Amino acid sequence: MPECMNEPSAGDAKEDVLMEARADAGALAAAPAQRKSAAKPLPLARLLANGSVRAGLGLAAFFAFWQAVSGLGIVDGFLLPSPLAVAQALWDLALDGSLWIHLGASLQRVAVGFLLACIAGLALGLVCGWWRTVSDFVRPVVEALRPIPPLAWIPITILWFGLGDAASYFLVFLGAVFPAFVATYTAVRGLDRNQMNAALCLGAKPWQLFWDVLIPASLPIILPGLRIALGVGWMCVVTAELIAAQTGLGYLIQQSRMLFQINNVVAGMVTIGLVGFAMSAILERIERRVNAWAPSERN
Amino acid sequence: MAATAARISPSLRAQAPQTTPDDIQIDIRNVGKVYGTKASDDPVVALDGVSLRIRRGEFISLLGPSGCGKSTLLGIIAGFQAASSGQILQDGRPIARPDASRTVVFQDYALFGWMTVQQNIEFGLKAKGMAKAERAEIARALIATVHLTGFEDKYPHQMSGGMKQRAAIARALAPDPDILLMDEPFGALDAQTRVLLQEEIARISSEAGKTVIFVTHGIDEAVFLADRVVVMSPRPGRVREEVLVPLPRPRTAEMRSDPWFVSTVNDLWETLKPEWQKGE
Repeated sequence: MPECMNEPSAGDAKEDVLMEARADAGALAAAPAQRKSAAKPLPLARLLANGSVRAGLGLAAFFAFWQAVSGLGIVDGFLLPSPLAVAQALWDLALDGSLWIHLGASLQRVAVGFLLACIAGLALGLVCGWWRTVSDFVRPVVEALRPIPPLAWIPITILWFGLGDAASYFLVFLGAVFPAFVATYTAVRGLDRNQMNAALCLGAKPWQLFWDVLIPASLPIILPGLRIALGVGWMCVVTAELIAAQTGLGYLIQQSRMLFQINNVVAGMVTIGLVGFAMSAILERIERRVNAWAPSERN
Repeated sequence: MAATAARISPSLRAQAPQTTPDDIQIDIRNVGKVYGTKASDDPVVALDGVSLRIRRGEFISLLGPSGCGKSTLLGIIAGFQAASSGQILQDGRPIARPDASRTVVFQDYALFGWMTVQQNIEFGLKAKGMAKAERAEIARALIATVHLTGFEDKYPHQMSGGMKQRAAIARALAPDPDILLMDEPFGALDAQTRVLLQEEIARISSEAGKTVIFVTHGIDEAVFLADRVVVMSPRPGRVREEVLVPLPRPRTAEMRSDPWFVSTVNDLWETLKPEWQKGE
């Protein structure tokens, strides 16, 4: 008899689940459909709703404004070369191969320095985030070193490493290590206590706690931090090359300045901007994929 | 009147379900917990001299207003924190750390958001070093038990609160624990979902034959589910009284209108009202 009485309630529960399921599926299916149908009347409006189209239009407007300012002679062409002149300079640099040599040198330096910064920043951030005692000792040192801009490190860097790749590695490292550390530390510090406890009471082994809980739970905060670190590292490599290198985009700018090749100076700057933009966009894409589970990323 | 008679009456204690009176699984001995032991802080006594013996297979509700230390006590039983004084024995051995023989269901689910339902449930089985095929099979069976079939590959953020808690219950059952600890598991759910899940947990717990410690501040929920309701009072957290629930198992929705049930819930509310006002 009690089993009989239990039947309807179990059935209800199942229905409840099914209804939720249908509602979920409905919501998922409805969202894109609605967006499409709303944009249907005007093709132009639909085009403008696209994020990439907007980005392209924004950039085009910027270059058009720039072209107008220098092309119409509002600003002296020597002080501000027009986008077309810069494009011509870029083309020439690309053709004679020097652009690729400088770009390759800069990328190689930022890669090495950024990798070192990731290793150090992640390791130290994990240790400090996990063990309060260690963080009490280490954090004041980090917080005191962090405000020193990489530019201020240049004299002592040259003293230690001379003029070469090592100096650039070190400066990129200095720029990138702090954002990497802060992000990792913040992520581990902010881990959900209940999730850790849940893992522990389910009998999680240390490796499982680390790879299956700590790391994936921290990535939504760590990855944006690494993206910022790479951006800072990219700025640092150019700074380093302005002073302490014989190749690289920074060196290209510096050398062109001394030869009064302003077109090449701006061409170097444009390259730096575009490459930095591309790096950030690629990392953001990776982030979105890795952190797809995090609701904040979804919205 | 009937309710008063039922309270801690020896005759009823003798017919407590399923187990013999001396099959004690958890022995809570004079446990105290004090927070803020630094000289600068005002120490807060969360628990003071709590003693409780829980039989194998028994369903215990820990009932009380906020601040009565019921969640703290559950945390100490789980091994998440240490008692300041006294000790808790599980089958005669002191509890020192979290262990897969005592799994926890949390109010906020604490599911791993980066894992699917299936992966969440398999977590405790993976910890045991179980082979993949076997893990998947056990997880599938549990998913059916909690009525989540079809949602194996969903992520927690794609599900409603009630479904998340079903997944969390399945995850806690997966390592086949001796004891299931539930910390206000239905506190964040809407009233209808809560009632459904109460009936589910009544069914699952009597099928699985686990010892359950269920922390709640819902009087009807506590009485509906438990073999024994342990009522706690705040500041300092103490056991105030115990109520044996003579309702048969499995518990069904109709029992909520049973005269004994109604009068016991009313009775408890009347006696607890001042405490609740104090706790507010």
